[in-house]
Amino acid sequence: MSEADDTLLPELDLRLTEENPEDLYEHAPCGYCSCLPDGTLIKLNQTLLTWLGYARQELVARLCLQQLFTIGGRLHYEMHCAPLLILQGQVREISYSLRCKDGTILPVLMNAVLRRDTDGNPLLIRVTLFDITDRRKYEQDLLRAKEEAEEHRELLQRQNEQLTRINADLDSFVYTASHDLKQPIHNMAGLLTEFKAIATFHDPEDDKMIGMFDQALQQILKTIEGLTEVVQRPRELEQAALEVVDLLPFTEEVIRSLQPREVKDVFTLDFATVPTLRIARTALQSILYNLLSNALKYAEPGRQPRIRVSTRLENEVPVLSVQDNGRGFDIERHGGQLFQLFRRFHPEVEGVGIGLYLVKRLVAQAGGQIEVESEVGQGTTFHLYLPQ
Amino acid sequence: MDVLKRNNVRVSGAGSQAMIFVHGFGCNQRMWRLVAPAFEARYRVVLLDLVGAGESDLTAYDSARYGRLAAHAEDILEIMRALNLSDAIFVGHSVSAMIGILAAIQEPDLFARLVLVAPSPRYLNDVSYTGGFEAPDIEELLETMDNNYLGWSAAVTPMIMGHADRPELTEELNNSFCNTDPAIARHFARVTFLSDNRADLPLVRTPTLILQCAHDVLAPIAVGGFLHQQILDSQLVVLDTSGHCPHLSAPQITIKAIEAFLNHESVVSSI
Repeated sequence: MSEADDTLLPELDLRLTEENPEDLYEHAPCGYCSCLPDGTLIKLNQTLLTWLGYARQELVARLCLQQLFTIGGRLHYEMHCAPLLILQGQVREISYSLRCKDGTILPVLMNAVLRRDTDGNPLLIRVTLFDITDRRKYEQDLLRAKEEAEEHRELLQRQNEQLTRINADLDSFVYTASHDLKQPIHNMAGLLTEFKAIATFHDPEDDKMIGMFDQALQQILKTIEGLTEVVQRPRELEQAALEVVDLLPFTEEVIRSLQPREVKDVFTLDFATVPTLRIARTALQSILYNLLSNALKYAEPGRQPRIRVSTRLENEVPVLSVQDNGRGFDIERHGGQLFQLFRRFHPEVEGVGIGLYLVKRLVAQAGGQIEVESEVGQGTTFHLYLPQ
Repeated sequence: MDVLKRNNVRVSGAGSQAMIFVHGFGCNQRMWRLVAPAFEARYRVVLLDLVGAGESDLTAYDSARYGRLAAHAEDILEIMRALNLSDAIFVGHSVSAMIGILAAIQEPDLFARLVLVAPSPRYLNDVSYTGGFEAPDIEELLETMDNNYLGWSAAVTPMIMGHADRPELTEELNNSFCNTDPAIARHFARVTFLSDNRADLPLVRTPTLILQCAHDVLAPIAVGGFLHQQILDSQLVVLDTSGHCPHLSAPQITIKAIEAFLNHESVVSSI
């Protein structure tokens, strides 16, 4: 290709030979200057002089390159560029600001090379400067945005730490409160038994009231035990080791531990796809116990409960599902509150509203997520996504 | 912790007396490349990078700790103890001149001589003191640094280290000699330029050479005079060179000045 160019060139266009190196230097679309190794200016092109507003004789041999920069650039040049030029012979893309004669500031990007004499001693520095006015504005916007992002990040981190601290404080408050309440309530239960044994009641309504009192006491005790568990379980889990749990025998064991009740033909277990899970045993124990006992508790009256526990893979993530054919609930209305502490949707069924809150916490602690589907009168399904 | 690794300490040369060279702000131990080899024949030459610079362990840079120059001085003393050095000659450029002073005040027995290259005990002007700068000047320097760090994010540093055995690749990376983590450089700049070590100067008991450049924007000539007046046993030599790095711009006269100072032991000590 180059051979072809050589033959074609002379005849093409006379303007091709018009470029004058002298004129190119003086009026190039960038600033040129040459300096002694200490920065003393010895030659500048017209473009640079025009930018600066100085006459040539005001600068040559009178000022140094670094004196044309604003003070920040001058310091940077002395500490960074001057050593680099000697150490590596060049610097590139250094961002400075020129101070023009009339005081205006011109942002420039500087490249420089060091020429040495035949003995290897520094001889002169050649410098190219590019006007980057618009680019500098853009860069400063970027810098500001970066600073803001950094500030936001720090704020978020502080808030996060604060929230974590508050959460821990709340947990220990709940723990202490439930612990301190337990003893007096046990005392009350004991006193009531004693009271029943020694007192004589004449009105049959009295017996009923005593019974209600007893029930209320039991309810308080359960709530307190639940609260203790809510705080204690996740704490224990922080130290608990992950292990591979064989789901079939493990789930059968949990079913056996449920309240004594007719559970024959109720459960279907299918762990064929994912037979094991890597999780803390005690966490899985609590999760399954709560979900399965809920499924039994909220069975549709008059209908044989059917509960299916199964696993599958969804996008490589194991999903443990517990499906029942119980009462279900209005997911539109209550879905958002389902996992909240003390929130209950079936007041006619005994319970304190802690189980699902605990399940949610344990799943989250295991790095997982929980989803729920439900239809009134049809049943409820919980899906636990447990990344391994 | 291995302090020699932390500060990328390199030891060379022959001789029993040690000569420790410490670089200033903006670069690393390579700054001594034109000066240190001249002393290898007679001294045990120790080069190092301050924590946060060069190939030091950047993870060791705790900005709370290194918010004081004294922390760098403690690092120097740790290195000297690790190498079992005493009676050493300390050569510090710019901010490291003050780091050397702090170390010598703390452990005078470890130091035989101090050579302060382009030192300044305080960069900001004060009542009846000319440091050369006002606070907005330093802010502008930090801004210039920010403008220049846009291009070389912290991610560049590991690349440079990764290519240490392949210089042809390193050369392609701009200004790689003095690259460092931008956040650290910014912090170190602030610590350097806002420090005030004037009160420490009269506490120095070690014979000291002050090498002042004739035209140095960072350390005006008056600063050299102030140091000479405040440090008891000191000599002031003004080097006929411009800029802030005589060990690079005028290595021969720098070497000569240091040699002359080291060779006239008895004269200086008896002052």
